[in-house]
Amino acid sequence: MSLVAAKDVWREYARGGIAALAGVSLDVAPGEFVALLGRSGSGKSTLLNLLGGLDRPSRGSILVDGRDLATMNARELSLYRRGVCGFIFQSFNLVPTLPAWENVALPLVFRGEARTARKTKALAMLDKVGLASRVNNRPTQLSGGEQQRVAIARALIGQPRMLLCDEPTGNLDSATSSQIMQLLRDAHSAGAALVMVTHDPELATQYAQRTVRMADGKLQEAA
Amino acid sequence: MNLGAMVWLALEGLLRKKGRNTLTMSGVFIGVFALTLIVSLGQGLSRAVTETVSGTDNLRQVGLTGGFGIELSNDPAEIEISGEMNDARRDRLRRAAVNRRQIRQVAGRRANAIDDKTIAQLSKLPHIESIQPVIVERYEMKLNGHQSPATLSYGVDVGRKRYADRVIAGSYFSGDNAPEAIVHEYLLYKWGMLNDGDYARVIGQKVRLKTIQTELTPEQQAPPMLQDMLRDLTEEERKAMQTLLPKLLKQFGQSNERRAAEREFTVVGVLREQIPGDPFNVIEDGNAVQADLFLPQETARELFLASAVNVELGYPRALVTVTDSEFAPEVEQTLRDKGYTAFSVASALKQIESVLLMITVSISFLTGIALIVSTLGIVNTMITSVIERTREIGIFKAVGATNAQVMTVFLCESALIGLIGGLLGLGLAALAMLPGDMLAVQLINEKAAIPFDQPVFVLPLWLMIAGPALGTGTAIAAAILPARRAARIDPVKALRHD
Ligand SMILES: Nc1ncnc2c1ncn2[C@@H]1O[C@H](COP(=O)(O)OP(=O)(O)O)[C@@H](O)[C@H]1O
Ligand SMILES: [Mg+2]
Repeated sequence: MSLVAAKDVWREYARGGIAALAGVSLDVAPGEFVALLGRSGSGKSTLLNLLGGLDRPSRGSILVDGRDLATMNARELSLYRRGVCGFIFQSFNLVPTLPAWENVALPLVFRGEARTARKTKALAMLDKVGLASRVNNRPTQLSGGEQQRVAIARALIGQPRMLLCDEPTGNLDSATSSQIMQLLRDAHSAGAALVMVTHDPELATQYAQRTVRMADGKLQEAA
Repeated sequence: MNLGAMVWLALEGLLRKKGRNTLTMSGVFIGVFALTLIVSLGQGLSRAVTETVSGTDNLRQVGLTGGFGIELSNDPAEIEISGEMNDARRDRLRRAAVNRRQIRQVAGRRANAIDDKTIAQLSKLPHIESIQPVIVERYEMKLNGHQSPATLSYGVDVGRKRYADRVIAGSYFSGDNAPEAIVHEYLLYKWGMLNDGDYARVIGQKVRLKTIQTELTPEQQAPPMLQDMLRDLTEEERKAMQTLLPKLLKQFGQSNERRAAEREFTVVGVLREQIPGDPFNVIEDGNAVQADLFLPQETARELFLASAVNVELGYPRALVTVTDSEFAPEVEQTLRDKGYTAFSVASALKQIESVLLMITVSISFLTGIALIVSTLGIVNTMITSVIERTREIGIFKAVGATNAQVMTVFLCESALIGLIGGLLGLGLAALAMLPGDMLAVQLINEKAAIPFDQPVFVLPLWLMIAGPALGTGTAIAAAILPARRAARIDPVKALRHD
């Protein structure tokens, strides 16, 4: 049983324009670590967004627990993201005006958790990613690596079954990168499935169980 | 959904742009401030009017004045004009008939005199407790070497305690037909009794009152519509008129023959002027505001009726007291139907209240424009805020916010603007009421004959809630479209937005 199964997925941004995804089929098993490789513009981010329910395919189906993301309404997609996914972006995407712990606790706000519970959980997560001393710092007061660690803590706080990482180390130097990758590996060991977009083949072979190559919106599955 | 967390996110968003949001808020603030002030003024005035007159027996009283034959219809439609003619001519003749009737009415004597006989008849009408003649008359007055040609006197119902309370020297009347008089402090002042101690000199003195006898010329006595004619007469015609007119007037019940009456009373006290806080009876005391001399009711009546012309013409006014204030308007109407001129505070109060309500509502609408303008500011601010926070909306959605939750955050943001603005508006309005009240009471007392010391601003609980609620509601309504726009933002695009 796969966690997410994309079948012949197409995504055309403009009607009649070129397809960012042209018939992609990809299964992600529970707890699996998949690396998505490919040149810029090959459709990696597009696929990732579809798997995470941030976007809907033009054609094809994406099955999760027997339900098709393609036919879900906006509310159902939100609840899917809330319950299943954690996102990590290249540009961190933290709320600049909120301190680290409140950024981490943000998913819990929309789950309706009380402030004290949010804070306790956020502080525990920040401790896990080694930022116990930076809980009250705003993103601008943190380095790139620290910001990405806050983002990882935020992605993990909801205990997602799948982490979707779009070039998580793309903005970081190699030493910081390996710290981040270590945290992602820990999350994977704890049981989460991971789909990571990267254009660094070395990272892919070093961490992923399976590497998938993309070109022109199509998959070229490799070993 | 945890609304507290949404409110908190909204507040955090608000605090980011303090200046902009303060400006936006000031629109709501001004709107709610003005609206609260105006509505509470309307409330206060209406209550003040009621309070001012609902003491004593104001609402149970109907003022009665003799009518002028209004039982004759002045409605042209009811006048029969016979003969074959076109409608225009019939209309003209009807009009002419009405005009001629009106002249006859005014020239004639009062069709509905108020005398002891009619009072006895009217007293049998339903809901009437009592009818008392109002005795207001001018007399030549002599007291202690002082003299006044036409002092206004007023007959006091001795049972009325509020007059007793105003006696500042000497004592009050001993009975309804005691041969006693009370002098107003102003008359004594005019007579040069400047010092407080001077009052003692008039207490116990005799005051002489005498019917004023003036020989009026026919012109002076003639009804207004005859005056023009008299002016245009030749010298001979005028002479003829001099002898003819008194006869004619006598025929109509008017006469310059008066039998003089003269009485002597003992001054027992000095009455002070009314001051704010005194109970005031609109219909009764309205007759007495200019009086300089006060007599017990029965004493005054006896003197009044000692003059032949008064017996003939009847009392100028009467005071009708009904058994319960709810019957006042009904009794007032009954008396009018009988051809009298009647006035009741109870029905005047109803009119004043409805006028006040109308004014309040219409000014409130005008003030509402301030709120409407403030919504434009809110719409603008919220659209700007949504655009600025596009990426954040993407983040919210990525971490699992539903469209409804995103919308709620922005609605809360706007609601906070409205609520804070509304509360500030309410607070300042409440503060402004203190000096406002003092100023208003002062202004009213400068202008009004009725002593007045009621608050003119009243802030009831419902208004305390309605003001800020209206501000909040307006702000929420203004934010609906921007918030919907925020909710519909595509998260993928939003996350790449900068
Ligand atoms: N919102 C969009 N509108 C139009 N074209 C888009 C949009 N997003 C991506 N594309 C196009 O789709 C293709 C795939 O993009 P993307 O998935 O971002 O590639 P990658 O992540 O592999 O670099 C590219 O040609 C890109 O220009
Ligand atoms: Mg990409």
